[in-house]
Amino acid sequence: MDRALEQGDALSRAAEPTVELRGLVKRYGATAALDGVSLGIRPGEFFTLLGPSGCGKTTTLRSVAGFVTPDAGEVLIDGAVVTGVPPHRRRVGMVFQHYALFPHRTVTQNVAFGLRMQGLPKPEITGRVAEALALVQLPDHGGRYPRQLSGGEQQRVALARALVTRPAVLLLDEPLGALDKKLRDHMKIELKRLQREVGITTIYVTHDQEEALTMSDRIAVMHRGRVEQVAPPRGLYETPATAFVAGFIGNINLLAGHATGRGTVDCRGVKIAATGAAAAGAAVLVALRPERVRLAADESLDNRHALTIAHVVYQGETVRYVLRGDTGLELQAVELGEVRFAAGARVHAGWSAEDARIVPPDRP
Amino acid sequence: MTRGARAVLLGPYVLLLAVFFLAPIALLLAISVSRQSFGQLEWTFTLHHYVRFFSDAYYVDVLGDTLLLGAIVTAVSLLLGYPLAYHLALTRSRWKPLLIVFILSPLLVGIVIRCYGWMILLADRGLINETLGQHGWITKPLPLMYNKFGVTVALVHVFLPFMVLSLTGVLKRIDPQLVEASQTLGASPRRAFFEVTLPLSLPGILAGSLLVFSLAISSFVVPILLGGFKVHVLPMVVYEQVLSVFDWPFGAANAFVLLVISVALIAVYIKVTERALRGIV
Repeated sequence: MDRALEQGDALSRAAEPTVELRGLVKRYGATAALDGVSLGIRPGEFFTLLGPSGCGKTTTLRSVAGFVTPDAGEVLIDGAVVTGVPPHRRRVGMVFQHYALFPHRTVTQNVAFGLRMQGLPKPEITGRVAEALALVQLPDHGGRYPRQLSGGEQQRVALARALVTRPAVLLLDEPLGALDKKLRDHMKIELKRLQREVGITTIYVTHDQEEALTMSDRIAVMHRGRVEQVAPPRGLYETPATAFVAGFIGNINLLAGHATGRGTVDCRGVKIAATGAAAAGAAVLVALRPERVRLAADESLDNRHALTIAHVVYQGETVRYVLRGDTGLELQAVELGEVRFAAGARVHAGWSAEDARIVPPDRP
Repeated sequence: MTRGARAVLLGPYVLLLAVFFLAPIALLLAISVSRQSFGQLEWTFTLHHYVRFFSDAYYVDVLGDTLLLGAIVTAVSLLLGYPLAYHLALTRSRWKPLLIVFILSPLLVGIVIRCYGWMILLADRGLINETLGQHGWITKPLPLMYNKFGVTVALVHVFLPFMVLSLTGVLKRIDPQLVEASQTLGASPRRAFFEVTLPLSLPGILAGSLLVFSLAISSFVVPILLGGFKVHVLPMVVYEQVLSVFDWPFGAANAFVLLVISVALIAVYIKVTERALRGIV
């Protein structure tokens, strides 16, 4: 795996993206699975495609693998256009949702498969298979058949099989989906460790925001065949570009209103100071994380409004308050610790203008 | 369900098997080692009929021909049936139900009618030979019938559905992602077929082959009608011995030889394929 590591280092110095998608369009009948997807995945990067089912993330991944031929657009791997190239000539490694290990072959034979297809001499295959199995910490499982392995072990074998051929890019299609919660948490860390160690460019597909946030260098949030936003995890959470991204990642208040001037939005008669640009009079949403809302706020905050507590939801670690204004404005606030207010109480809720982001309403 | 309840529910079928299958076979075995004089069976023990069978080149030849015919019919059914089954397993066409009816259609026609249908096509003055003759492409009729060719064609026709259905069931259960996985690992579509699809469909090949082989070597009407008593198979010999010659013990011995040899062949076949099946079933 040393060579792969060196390759990874060399590539990360190059400016050229390892995988580049240019305006991919794919239609199935009347519906567009991909509606102009353009992305650049940097060398050595752990890049996640995140979105609900049917958003086009799997179709995007399968376009990179070569199983989907786009109706328009181009796929480039290592700078070369591969749009019409069949999967077996693309130098991609892929781990499938249910691992797709060959049931009629042993672990060793599974891992050796790709090397055998490359026509490598037997001694080299043996050596590299052993290396790959050591890398995934299954050095003694070579003689077993896939069905004799646990879910987590199958997962590791699938990874070893995909990595051993030293592909240009590793594609992971919801690989943790079939594991139980505890194992999933463990494999998340394990997967990330492996990816770092090998230094391989990775595209990861998931609908699970937590997986995406914990593992990724950058995340592309997809919705209805389009990329809504590409950003590092923190950027997505703190500065969502669209209402969809804001709503998809974590909990958030989306307050409908219209822009009244530079950095102010009128939501049901309540003037909210917020960050972001919008033409005056345009219908916009204000995205505000509940944990950024202070209750019994002091004068120093840009926003300070007298609201009534409608509901109190005790959640153990946190307490969630549903607040209502006199004009019908409704928002939620989350606090750590004990319950400080009771339903019906009147409080001053406040937040910084920086934490309230103006986003365009979701497209129809 | 409790063991008792299961035993009760299995009972009727086990009884049916015992009365109409095991008992006749036991009787067959008993008759094959008995002696017959002036139409009367004497319940003795003699291997005379078996010795007679194996010391007469004619019967050994017929046995060989029967097994060869079974093997050829099986091989041809497999070669024709595999692409059909493959298509049937993968297609999402809305015509699929119709396709299944087509595949099953040979079974929907009575065996005699089906054979006469083939005769109309294959006879010396049949549709094929007449058409070819009229165009001047042949001067004398092709030997399509009253030989092994005609028998093979008609047997493949009727047994193909068994092969196709056995294969389809197995092919449908192969995860398409296995093929995709092999492709991302560098296998061309053809290589992926031979490395993944074919080995994983072995259980279907095994089941279909066993069905077709055992049906083919025990077929009787088709070899008579399309072989015209020029193609000799063991079931015909049994028929002659029992109903024309009235030599029940020898007929029984013939039948038992066929049974034992086909069971032995099937056992070897299973043993051989079992190795390749490791990990699958």
